[in-house]
Amino acid sequence: MRPRDGTPIPEPEPIGPSHLLPPADVGFATAGGVTSRSPWELFRRRFRRHRLALVSLGVLIGLCIVCFGAPFFAPYARDHQDLTLGAVGPSWHHWFGTDELGRDELTRLLYAGQISLEIGLAVAALSTLVGVVIGAIAGFVGKATDQMLMRVTDLFLVLPALAVLALALEKFGHDSFTIIWVLAALFWMYVARVVRAQVLVIREQEFVEAARASGATGPWIVVRHVLPNCVGPIVVNATLAVAAAIVAESSLSFLGFGVQLPATSWGRMISDAEGYVGTSHAYLLYFPGLAILLTVLAVNFLGDGLRDAFDPTSEPA
Amino acid sequence: MNAPRWLRGAVAVALGGVCASLVVTPSLADPGRSAPRASTGGQIVIGAEQEPDCADWIDACAGESWGLWTMQEETMPRVFDVVRRDGRWVYSPSILMAASPSLSTVNGAQVVTYQINPQAVWSDGVPITSADFAYTWDQVAHGADIFDRTGYDQIASVNDTDPHTAVVTFSTPFAGWHQLFGADYGVFPSHILAGHDRDDAMKDGYSWSGGPFKIQAWDKGIDVILVPNPRYWGPKPRSSSVTFKFLTDTAAEFQAFQGGEVDAIYPAPEPEAVDAVKAGLTDADSVVNTDTGNIEALWMNNAAFPFDSVAVRQAVAYAIDRNAIVRLLFGSLGVTTATNSLNPPILAPYSDQQAFAGYHLDLAKVTQLMTSDGWQKSGGIWQKGGRPAAFSIQSTAGDKRRELTEQVLQAQLHQAGFAVTIQNTDANTLFGTVLPAGTFQMGLYAEVVTDLDPGLCTVLCSQNIPGPANGNSGENWTRTSIPTLDPLLETVDTNTNDAARVNASKAADRIIAAQQVTLPLDPLPNLAIWSKRIHGVDGDNPVYAMFWNLSQWQVH
Amino acid sequence: MLSYVGRRVLYSIPVILVASFLTFAFVRATFDPTAKLRQSRTAASAIREERQHLGLNEPLVEQYGTWLGRFVRGDWGTSERTHEAVSAQIGRALWNTTQLIVWSVLLSAMAAVAIGVYSALRQYSVLDYTFTGLSFLGLALPAFWFGLIAIEFLAVGPKQWFHLSQPPLFFVGLHSTSGGVVDYLRHLVLPVLTLTVGIVAGWSRFQRASMLDIMSSDYIRTARAKGVPRRRVVLRHGLRNALVPLVTVMALDIGALFGGLIITEKIFSVPGMGKLFFDSLLAGDATTLTAWLVVTAAFIVAFNLLADLAYSWLDPRVRVA
Repeated sequence: MRPRDGTPIPEPEPIGPSHLLPPADVGFATAGGVTSRSPWELFRRRFRRHRLALVSLGVLIGLCIVCFGAPFFAPYARDHQDLTLGAVGPSWHHWFGTDELGRDELTRLLYAGQISLEIGLAVAALSTLVGVVIGAIAGFVGKATDQMLMRVTDLFLVLPALAVLALALEKFGHDSFTIIWVLAALFWMYVARVVRAQVLVIREQEFVEAARASGATGPWIVVRHVLPNCVGPIVVNATLAVAAAIVAESSLSFLGFGVQLPATSWGRMISDAEGYVGTSHAYLLYFPGLAILLTVLAVNFLGDGLRDAFDPTSEPA
Repeated sequence: MNAPRWLRGAVAVALGGVCASLVVTPSLADPGRSAPRASTGGQIVIGAEQEPDCADWIDACAGESWGLWTMQEETMPRVFDVVRRDGRWVYSPSILMAASPSLSTVNGAQVVTYQINPQAVWSDGVPITSADFAYTWDQVAHGADIFDRTGYDQIASVNDTDPHTAVVTFSTPFAGWHQLFGADYGVFPSHILAGHDRDDAMKDGYSWSGGPFKIQAWDKGIDVILVPNPRYWGPKPRSSSVTFKFLTDTAAEFQAFQGGEVDAIYPAPEPEAVDAVKAGLTDADSVVNTDTGNIEALWMNNAAFPFDSVAVRQAVAYAIDRNAIVRLLFGSLGVTTATNSLNPPILAPYSDQQAFAGYHLDLAKVTQLMTSDGWQKSGGIWQKGGRPAAFSIQSTAGDKRRELTEQVLQAQLHQAGFAVTIQNTDANTLFGTVLPAGTFQMGLYAEVVTDLDPGLCTVLCSQNIPGPANGNSGENWTRTSIPTLDPLLETVDTNTNDAARVNASKAADRIIAAQQVTLPLDPLPNLAIWSKRIHGVDGDNPVYAMFWNLSQWQVH
Repeated sequence: MLSYVGRRVLYSIPVILVASFLTFAFVRATFDPTAKLRQSRTAASAIREERQHLGLNEPLVEQYGTWLGRFVRGDWGTSERTHEAVSAQIGRALWNTTQLIVWSVLLSAMAAVAIGVYSALRQYSVLDYTFTGLSFLGLALPAFWFGLIAIEFLAVGPKQWFHLSQPPLFFVGLHSTSGGVVDYLRHLVLPVLTLTVGIVAGWSRFQRASMLDIMSSDYIRTARAKGVPRRRVVLRHGLRNALVPLVTVMALDIGALFGGLIITEKIFSVPGMGKLFFDSLLAGDATTLTAWLVVTAAFIVAFNLLADLAYSWLDPRVRVA
């Protein structure tokens, strides 16, 4: 975020993974983060936020359970085709209808959710891990490495993200594994900056010098002293990265860089139904889009709740 | 809502600003873009699925069907039309010719004589002469970056002493001479282009014409506008302008037709278009043509495991219910049976259209072929020497119809004991890299024929396997190499005796089927859809598409 | 101030240079510029000539040097896809993209400021909650899905329900053959709406937050205590200061839009930068892709620079620093 007190900004600052993608296309723009004053207002606001965040957490866990438990919950077998049935709208037998090959849309949606969520979670985990490691190294090793890291971050930020992602997938192929690490490669920088800043603050402090004197190593100091101090931004960022990755994957799917069939993701399902706008098969377009909307909404609410909860200025309430 | 008055005022001012700024837009809307006002016949807008990369028809950048359909056939004079006569498509001398071109043999060399219609003129009034034929030949045979020199590189000379008679002498016999100065290329105006850089003058569109229309403006990425050529010596166009709007997203194209933004579309038979025809179009007519120059097939890499074995290729053919796939894709258009020749329907006279009819779903046959070839089933999948019968299908990503086909194939083949993965890439990688390099096992794509001459040698003769001998530019991507097949296909290419060609071509078809080189699926029907406000549309043409009589179209 | 500008500009140059080298190397490693030629039937000699022209047999750094030299002099090469000058292609595409950006940004800025200010002044009112809810929705909507749904319900749908001869709004390109202002507007509404939804959601929340921040600051309280009229306080002191952070964020976002409309332009068949990228990517048009990436990167750098300068100009404290 832009600093609230108007401190000078020497260079463009990354604003988290969400900002790596063009706001408009990916539908995920800068989110405001300045909190307000009065304790009573704060309390009301936090209460409301947290209730929403709790509900969101429940929704997300529920989604994960039904998607990853798809073999158990799905009404039909995976990829079961019924060519004579073809595409029919929602009915009692097929709640969300069927696709052109007579496959149950609900079943497909659940299995697609596996891939979408898997990509979201994996990218968040991987980018956070990489970010922490690189940030810590940059902070401890200092000058040259530090400069290098900052310059690399700058470089990544001047290239249009979606274009670079598409180009990378064109080169490296597009299975879900490649999609995960290509996305993670663009998402680690924010965490790295946060961790680095914290390391720079901490390593000058007396207790760290004391710990060092008594033989503590870098990694131990990071785990023991640095991480606890920046766990807030890291967790919030990791949460938002889940949503950003899901949306990024769906955008890439829409451009034809999705996972290979018959596997599918929510984004790919929308992309496959694109042509049915204005026809009787338009229902194929609705459900995967709603699934993404629900997931991203829940993740954003959760992230918002977490941000408030972690914000030291809101601690007293 | 009790916003302070000033705030409401601010919002009002903001909205007013928007409105005001919108009113000033004409300056933004690119002046001079509007087509001329209708005089008679009105303006027709057609959706084009692809934008041609360039309008220099003989250059490597051309060669796309949509180039032919949107600009080439309307502006370039050609020697033959393709017309339907007695239930089959045949060549017929065009309005450029005074008489039917004649084939003869002079001193043992093949000679074709073209009598040019004395009324034929370019749009600047200069007559079309034999010098234009000579120029065209010279450019194709000797120019740089030419798309395809086939035939032209076999011409020894073009005699243009008589401006109304072009005498073309061949150095080696060329059976497909009908296609020269025809569909893809046409005849180029030497008086305009000679001495200039042809590619430069033509690639972004050109203002001259030798056809019913001329190109008024080609706004790249948006549309191309054709207007009548006042000097055309044939039937005058009835419309005042024809606009081809580029809707490169097939889904968008169909939406645009439904939304009334375009009057006609000629879509690839994608599921959404087929569905719409089935559901019944409101205020629109459509025609489905199965007598096309297209063959959609499963092309197998004959040099790569597991399709280096004839038995496996045959077993795969018995493992697939091709009719079920065709019914799924085109059943509602009345197309229910698979194609049984690698020669498309318009080449029926030259082919055994039942050559592959013996291959139908028969799992017992699969078992018999596979076991006799030394395979054993383990875990439901055939294995031989520790290697499973696993392969991937590659096709063009984002093509809905092909992706559905692949998924059905995958399910069917899995039933028969073959493990199939789908691996699609964009068309450029597939046709530019994967297929030429031979790093594929099975490909799903279509061959499209734009003339009435059989020519399977290009894709099935062993000398056309990409390799050092042909500079890696051979097009036999399936790496088919059958000694008995080569001479037959060469006869088809070089023998000017039609009966001999027919016999050789049919014999070749039977060998191809027996060896199960590759498996034909469907003729990829052409689908023409137009709004009822357009009159004069007269069905489909396998080469010139629904646009073959574009000059007769008019808005009602 | 001048030296600050100078430093920032100087810093941008190496960033662009390194980015262009990486871009160049990556595109070269990904695409074979002669792949297209291989689809024609007389390729061998043409491929050799093309390799010669692009210097593909030279080491990468040398290739880059040649390319950079030409690029700086305005020779951006010839597209392998269309045989057209890349600079002409990009110029045309930029014009179309700019139209979308200008209208979207104009509308978004006005809407975001109005919503942000209202929400801040009427914090926790029904409308504030509504706007907050809508902005969360706007941020979560996948843009391409929203675009398709908009086509369904605002264009194709009405045409079918009311049996119109034309849809009320168009969704292909930026104008029809007939042309005219009304026609232009009917083409513009859907893509601009699709873009605006996401942008307004982000900006309005940002504006609300910074407005709240300013309004609770001491000097506003002082001004109010001194008896300055509320309206004057809000406009002169509040809004003016609260706009500073928004302007910088806007500049950053606008810079990213030039290379960021790939999906919107694809859905609405707008022949802009995004569509040019997409078409070039599918055709493996290496020359266009390289130039495209460098140009869009330059836009991002330029607008980042603008954001910094705007910030330092609008906020006097930075100038001192």
